Amino acid sequence: DDNNVTLRMSTPASETDQRSVSLAEVFAPAVAEFATYEPHYNASLIAQGSELESIASGDLEMSITSAQELAQFFPEFSIFATGYVHQDAAHQVAVFNDALMDGFKAKAEAELDVKLLSVMYLGRRHVNLRQTKDELTVTNPADLAGVNLRMPGTDAWQFLGKALGANPTPMSFTEVYTALQTGSVDGQDNPLPTVVDAKFYEVTKQIALTSHLVDLNYIAMSKSTWDGLTGEQQATLQSAADAAAESGRVAQLEKEANLVSFLKEQGLSVYEPDLAAFREHVQAQYVGTEFAASWPAGVLDKINALGN
Amino acid sequence: MTFEFMLCLGTIIVLAGIGAPIAYVILIAALLYLLAAGQGIGIAGKVLMDGLYQSFILLAVPLFIVAANIMNAGTISDRLLSFCVALVGRFRGGLGHVNVVASLIFSGMSGSAVADAAGIGKIIIEMMTKSGQYTRGYAAAITAASATIGPIIPPSIPMVLYALVSNTSIGYLFLGGILPGLFMGAVLMAVNLWMSKRRGFALEEPVPLIELPRRTLNAFPALLMPAILLYGIYGGVTTPTEAAAVAAFYALMLAALFYRALSMKAMYQILVESARSSAAIGLVIGGALILNYIVASENIPSLLAEHLVGLDIDPLMFLLGVNVLLLLLGCILDATTIILVIIPLFIPTCRELGIDMVHFGVVAIVNCMIGLITPPYGILLFVITAVTRIPLSEIIREVWPFLGVLVLALLCMVLWPGLVLALPRLFGYAG
Amino acid sequence: MSRLPKLFTGFTHAVAASLVGLMFLTFILQIVIRYSAQLPWLAEMFPFMEPSRYGWTLEFCLFLWVWLVFWGNAFVVRQQDHVTFDILYNSVRPKVRRGFFVIFSLVIAVGLLASLEPTWSKFYVLRLKKTATLSSLFGDWVRMRDVYLVYALFLIVVPLRFAWLAYHAIRYGVDDPTNDAMDSSLK
Ligand code: NA
Ligand code: NA
Repeated sequence: DDNNVTLRMSTPASETDQRSVSLAEVFAPAVAEFATYEPHYNASLIAQGSELESIASGDLEMSITSAQELAQFFPEFSIFATGYVHQDAAHQVAVFNDALMDGFKAKAEAELDVKLLSVMYLGRRHVNLRQTKDELTVTNPADLAGVNLRMPGTDAWQFLGKALGANPTPMSFTEVYTALQTGSVDGQDNPLPTVVDAKFYEVTKQIALTSHLVDLNYIAMSKSTWDGLTGEQQATLQSAADAAAESGRVAQLEKEANLVSFLKEQGLSVYEPDLAAFREHVQAQYVGTEFAASWPAGVLDKINALGN
Repeated sequence: MTFEFMLCLGTIIVLAGIGAPIAYVILIAALLYLLAAGQGIGIAGKVLMDGLYQSFILLAVPLFIVAANIMNAGTISDRLLSFCVALVGRFRGGLGHVNVVASLIFSGMSGSAVADAAGIGKIIIEMMTKSGQYTRGYAAAITAASATIGPIIPPSIPMVLYALVSNTSIGYLFLGGILPGLFMGAVLMAVNLWMSKRRGFALEEPVPLIELPRRTLNAFPALLMPAILLYGIYGGVTTPTEAAAVAAFYALMLAALFYRALSMKAMYQILVESARSSAAIGLVIGGALILNYIVASENIPSLLAEHLVGLDIDPLMFLLGVNVLLLLLGCILDATTIILVIIPLFIPTCRELGIDMVHFGVVAIVNCMIGLITPPYGILLFVITAVTRIPLSEIIREVWPFLGVLVLALLCMVLWPGLVLALPRLFGYAG
Repeated sequence: MSRLPKLFTGFTHAVAASLVGLMFLTFILQIVIRYSAQLPWLAEMFPFMEPSRYGWTLEFCLFLWVWLVFWGNAFVVRQQDHVTFDILYNSVRPKVRRGFFVIFSLVIAVGLLASLEPTWSKFYVLRLKKTATLSSLFGDWVRMRDVYLVYALFLIVVPLRFAWLAYHAIRYGVDDPTNDAMDSSLK
């Protein structure tokens, strides 16, 4: 009917990715009465990283965005892309729903016309290396000296790589498998589900469970489209997004838990380094940086207070 | 199919038909499409810029073009040519075979067929036309055809992309591509031999064997190039994309220091010439990106998917049907779009019908690579035209026999999965 | 050619050549830095070789690539360098060929020019968007709209060129494709 809106969603994730699945299976049916959910996977509609401005210019209604992408517009979002800030999946939800997020959300709505609906859990990022544990055992940051670690090609990611003690090197994701196979990089960092989906376990020997970043995505939506809905529809859509995020979170946590044994079966050493040493070292690196300077005063303390 | 989509295709046919540059034709057609569909026409430029600003693997294209231009200006190609003529000039279709073999060797070099064609393609086409045996259309056609082998033999970006959407092992996919790649090389050499006999391409004056050591020595540093590049990639010094820069660097060192055949002024001309070809190619690739956006925007994939749900047919018929469809789509879409957007639609049905995913992947990628040379819309044909300025019509006229045997080779791979799966199974693949 | 256009052509070509040359050098730098990172003492001895200073190389190459494509098409690529389907075009009478040429040149000129304003307004939001890594090279002022600026330039220059070509074709006719310099690169 006339009131039906089309929600075009573009994401670089594949159709079988947990985020795609939960939106298609939980979100889409819940809003079906007034909205047609039209997903475009593998960045087939909008190039990766250009979704936010496409929403801003009215050419897209939804996307799954990251704190890093938002930080390109609003530097203060870098706090959510900083090592050892989020502690776990529950902490992410608490932070997202806390009043401390209001300023962040308002800014994205005012300047980009982007409404952040809900937070999705991507998993803990770990260091995944070619070397066997015998060749290189990672206990503390000093052990990563001289290790060429592929990190995504933005300043924030590269900084995190350096803060871990490694030599961060940028490289496009599609080249990482071959680079690991041939040794043009020593390692990469991603959550375990990505290590499995991208087959990195075929060409690496160990995973040091550094948990250096509890990675997240936001379900983002056009504020104008949102404003065009009735109050009732808004409430339905909001709870649909929350339900999708929750179902994805449960599935992702379960997947992560199961993958350790799978990866061990594949012959990888999977072990935990001295996390306190890593946390202390990484957090110390951020003190006095331009990243830290962009964070609103007191927010870091509020985030920490919401954790354990 | 919507009215605006028909309008877009119609505009392309008419404008391209009257001889307008293809890249601009697509841009104009996209503007009309967006206007008719009620979307802002500014999207075209945004899509184009976003896409090009992400095309990491295509960075190899300008670098390979620089390498090829340096090799030509720095007498490196001449030395390679005279070595090859001494070696194979006495045989029918000698340089054509060299062309195919060079593609097989260099197929390990880049993950992308476009980069391969722009790089060694340019060098070897010049060698073939300089030798005077072959028409330039024939040289370009066999080069385009053999460049399709590049992404079949590892490393291969298309296979990495397929693995990501299909949840298949990249290692086994890489292994699965080796025999089909060699097989494609073999059928192309067979056609080359047959065509050379039939068309009576002249034989070179046989070079006395006693000449061979001298010519080998003369070409030796140039012959080292593939070895250095392959070591660079497999030794972990460079990524496949970076290897293009190494090729250019090595050629520059050889030409400037070893052969002393390159002046500063010549180097400047090489850079301008490389800029010219790269820009022309970049715009054509940009056109492909816009077409991809339009296809996604039409939501054609999900319309296709609806027809595939619950399909109950013989697996072989399904595979053949998919291949015919992919070949047809290859006439208008580029390989990346097909792999990322169209192929995932078939994967659930494949699983249901018990089709092996490595087999399906290799077959589908071979199919997509053949699509790169199917007229009228074949990106490899465009790239070779842009680099060598050999008219498209001359290449298209000569490409049909090569296209024909590649399709036959594809049919063999569909009918005998063992051709793909033998090597992976040897290394422990359970499928 | 008179002096001013010659100087201008020299300048635009020099820019294009520099873009290609810089891209080549940046790639080499990237390889050298990654390789030298395996020898940590190097960075200690020469602080400028510290690998983390070179996170910008990849994006800088992409920047050079898009500028190369659009600067190149605006100023360096000649009419005969473009990929065209020339079967029909080459087989018709010169008068018809001239008609074809004038029609498509004007369509391209009008179409591209018409898209200038809508395109620029799509880029408007990019004035806020930082590049991923180029700030460490160019300084903190650089935004994605600055990177995309070259496309707007392209949308102005290319229509002017096609309009000029159309005028020229109306006035003097078009070249006979059978004797043009198609194989200038196959010397
Ligand atoms: Na390859
Ligand atoms: Na094609």
